[in-house]
Amino acid sequence: MKKIGMLLLAAVTAFLVTTGGALASSGGTFIFCAPYGGDLFSLDMHKTSRTQDYIVGLNINRSLYRWDADQSKPVLDLATGVTISADGKTYTFTLRKGVKFHNGRTLTADDVIWSYNRIAQPKTASSAASYIANIKGADKVMEGTAKTIVGLHKMDDLTFTMELKHPVDIGYALCKVETAIVPREALEAGEAKFATNPVGCGPFKFVKWVRGSEVILEKFDNYYEEGKPYIDKLIYKIMPEGAARDIAFRAGELDANIVGASQYPVYQRDPQIKDHMIEVAEMYTRIIGFNSEFKPFADKRVRQAINHAINAELIIKKLLKNKAVPATGFLPTSSPAYDTAMKGYEYNLTKAKALMKEAGYEKGFTFECIATANKSWGVGIVESLIPFMKRINITIKPQQLEGAALGERARTGKFDAFIWSIESGPDPLETLNRFRSTTPVSAGNYTAYANSDYDHALDMAAATGSADEKLSWLKKANRILFDDAPFWFFNYNKAIIAYQPWVNGIKPVAIEMMLQDFTNLKLDESSPRK
Amino acid sequence: MRAYAFRRILQFIPTILIISIIMFVLLNLLPGNAALMAGDQRKAPDPRVVEQLKKEWGIDKPIHTRYFIYLKGLARGDLGTSFLRREPVNKLVGNRIWPTLRLSFAALLISLVIGIPLGFISALKRGTLIDTTAMIGAVSGVSIPQFWLGLMLMYLFSVILGWLPSSGYGHGKISHLIMPAITLGIGYTALLARATRAAVLEVMHKDYIRTARAKGLSEFLINWRHIMRNTMVLVLTTAGLQFGALIGQTVIVEKLFAWPGLGSLLVDSIFQRDIPVTQGCILVMILVFLIVNLVVDLLYSVVDPRIEY
Amino acid sequence: MAFSSVVFKGKSNLIIGAVLTILVIGMAVFAPLLAPYHPVNDADLMVSEEAPSSDYLCGTDTQGRDVLSRVIYGSRISLSVGLVSQLINTLIGVFLGVTAGYLGGAWDDFIMGLTNIMLSIPSMIFALAIMALLGPGLINIYLALGLTNWSFTCRITRSQVLSAKRIEYIRAAEALGYGQWRIMFGQILPNVVGPILVISTLGIAYAILTEASLSFLGLGTQPPTPSWGGMLSNAREEFFTAPWISIFPGLAIFATVLGFNLLGDGLRDLLDPHKE
Repeated sequence: MKKIGMLLLAAVTAFLVTTGGALASSGGTFIFCAPYGGDLFSLDMHKTSRTQDYIVGLNINRSLYRWDADQSKPVLDLATGVTISADGKTYTFTLRKGVKFHNGRTLTADDVIWSYNRIAQPKTASSAASYIANIKGADKVMEGTAKTIVGLHKMDDLTFTMELKHPVDIGYALCKVETAIVPREALEAGEAKFATNPVGCGPFKFVKWVRGSEVILEKFDNYYEEGKPYIDKLIYKIMPEGAARDIAFRAGELDANIVGASQYPVYQRDPQIKDHMIEVAEMYTRIIGFNSEFKPFADKRVRQAINHAINAELIIKKLLKNKAVPATGFLPTSSPAYDTAMKGYEYNLTKAKALMKEAGYEKGFTFECIATANKSWGVGIVESLIPFMKRINITIKPQQLEGAALGERARTGKFDAFIWSIESGPDPLETLNRFRSTTPVSAGNYTAYANSDYDHALDMAAATGSADEKLSWLKKANRILFDDAPFWFFNYNKAIIAYQPWVNGIKPVAIEMMLQDFTNLKLDESSPRK
Repeated sequence: MRAYAFRRILQFIPTILIISIIMFVLLNLLPGNAALMAGDQRKAPDPRVVEQLKKEWGIDKPIHTRYFIYLKGLARGDLGTSFLRREPVNKLVGNRIWPTLRLSFAALLISLVIGIPLGFISALKRGTLIDTTAMIGAVSGVSIPQFWLGLMLMYLFSVILGWLPSSGYGHGKISHLIMPAITLGIGYTALLARATRAAVLEVMHKDYIRTARAKGLSEFLINWRHIMRNTMVLVLTTAGLQFGALIGQTVIVEKLFAWPGLGSLLVDSIFQRDIPVTQGCILVMILVFLIVNLVVDLLYSVVDPRIEY
Repeated sequence: MAFSSVVFKGKSNLIIGAVLTILVIGMAVFAPLLAPYHPVNDADLMVSEEAPSSDYLCGTDTQGRDVLSRVIYGSRISLSVGLVSQLINTLIGVFLGVTAGYLGGAWDDFIMGLTNIMLSIPSMIFALAIMALLGPGLINIYLALGLTNWSFTCRITRSQVLSAKRIEYIRAAEALGYGQWRIMFGQILPNVVGPILVISTLGIAYAILTEASLSFLGLGTQPPTPSWGGMLSNAREEFFTAPWISIFPGLAIFATVLGFNLLGDGLRDLLDPHKE
């Protein structure tokens, strides 16, 4: 360790001497963690669908758009300009000049078109397919009835057009790292090799993946943003165990760490750490879903009564240590369609009891709630509901399952209730579409929610050309969903990253806190790894 | 001896075959499937992708067909292809064997170096305070939940004292190996200490030791020449048999210390329903166990030349 | 002094083990009398994670439940895990061992083959696979631990039976025309009880520890069941903030497992034929 440090120091000194100290703040190694589950699956962004892989892939790859954490919206990345036709259905993109892949080749419009075509191929089985499904002709490719997407046309090396089926802001979909632009020749040389030895055009190039242990990336010198990235080396430690991660962070072995609920109050009290935490209300809504097939839950009043009977704020305070924002509906506070006028279900036992009585369940009933071992939206939360439910004569039985077993039961509708964290952004229309009556249970509408007014509001939101009108339709749909209460609305995650004092440039990424783009990250001289 | 070893290796085949059937059936009955685990479950699943993946992996076929496909591969030494990692299992498992072996043998080494002398001293001082303390200490070693012990060690050596890195593989540096090896080895140390003590006591009462004593050989020689040889046979047996338990415990220790070995891969893959990987890990672990026991058997004749094959 | 040195000499294992075991069993039997609160129903989030005090001698957990009461009631769960799973193991192991040893022939070959295969699968991993199949839950723990750890019992029983077969009176029983089953379980079995008792005692200790390991992997008992392994594992991230939540169940596991291990060792010494 010391030796490496000395070498790095020597390298940095040499660099400073040659450049005359102009870039005093660049250089150094940054050690981050990959906390979600075990080892990565694949670094082929089109083929994997795991956040754990995206965390790393984000810094190797670039997409047409990127998520701007400060503005909390997608902005152009590989393109410098876009013109949108009057009907909102034809986008003409101008690509950035001189973008290099890590293999040295320059990116052209062909790469973009080829990458999207690859995503659409059935044999890729890409979970990103849904992001490009709106491009004209993409569905035909996905079904296997066409070879290429007809809606993409190359004009010249740096210009292409994209025809859409519906006029939506395509940036939300095409900013995802799953839709990364990749060099065709690297994939044609072997997909298996690419998955473990990826080539992108992002700020960092792949060096090494030590299975189950870490992924090492280094600065890509020909990255299109002059002088960036600032750091020389980026290491992701694969660390699924929260307690071990906490210890490693305290011992200074990690430069930054995602903070769990148990650590949050400790870090807040720690003078070394408390000023070095960044928080964001993530676009994930934690809910208990009520199966409408389960008889008592078919009655809206019962579902509302449960919402009224639980003191969610107290649970958030005690169990989640305030590392969450109480939910006031499905769309989270960071959503563009968030309705500031909405208030959550008030904790009101009298109201809850009255609703139960009205529904004919004064004597209560028993239901089972399936849950995983997750601390913030798992079986522990269900346990804490036992006394609350008792007060309206309901017996709630927690049933702990593994993720795979719960997933299977949720998508086949075999449950009374389940607790889960559900993606609720960034595009409000897309996330609300999940609960349309036409969305099958297996596609994510687990509670089999169906309300024609809700469908209508979403149709209107999709059809309108006016942004304001669209927002007001979305808010309406969100309100209907809230009132129907197919869920117990629990909270929106407050995601927190704690970092060492020498780290500058961790961003509040509302779509998923761990998707940190390190292009602009800088390390102070006080870093032990500089 | 060579013929014996060869015969034993041939016996591995039916063992592995039967275990492969048991595990194949068991693992293929697990609720849920890898297609559901492929993605971030917080997102709505895309049924089209789920179906496509099931077809690609062949998990839509009946179980006996799948088993014969798997068996055909196994005959050629091919453990199949990972569902989620989309890589040959041989390669994935191959990457993980060495860390697990290092960890297991480090734990074994620690327990041999501490456990055997402890057992000897205890037996020679039977009934004294030294014996009682040593044995209760040893039994305490097998009585602590491993993950709890590991966490306390981490807290002590990494946070409070700052002597050792808390977790991770650290490119094979010894400093990273110490804590996981102690955590894994402590129970084994206790077992070996107890086995050694029992073995020494047993041989000490045997006739030839009495005869040796009568002949007036010095205590030193009695202790070493006779007891050592006979004890080693018994200790080796315990070491070999309990090695399976040690391998099993890597599941916990590797998971806690983010150690990139077979144990952590096994746990991850079983939860992700990446069945080919789980099977691969289990079979390789069992193979390691069988080989270790074969080596133990062969060592018998080295330790005690009277044993012949 | 003289008395104690005669009585206790070489039996300290047995005595410490027996005392610890009796204490735990007592705790389990008298749990409702000993526990100041109900382990599940007396949950109050308002008093979550309170440090030990006169109201809550061992503090409260995150859900606002009394840790002491949960530890006391937890003895029932942990003991039942140890006893039930070991009972299953012993029944399987003894039945297979006695029949294999006595009947011999193809059945013996088959059982020995099966035992060797079982011995080569690490029982932790087998239990993990069974738990993944059945899902977390107390009954499932009994099964997962009860079906995977009988091979030692089977082996030892068989070897004991083989030597017991040569004993005079058993030959006499055969000559008298006693049925096979009567001889196996009426005449031979009592001869092998000692070693089986030792293995079973150690097996109980192993089962209690393994339950904790499975809990660490999220495959333990179902909440809100107060199992020590589950309590310990759930509180691992509160290790710094509220150490009492994990320390007391940790100590309870340690003391109980230590008790059974010492008891097993002590019994072994007591039954040791080479004893001076």
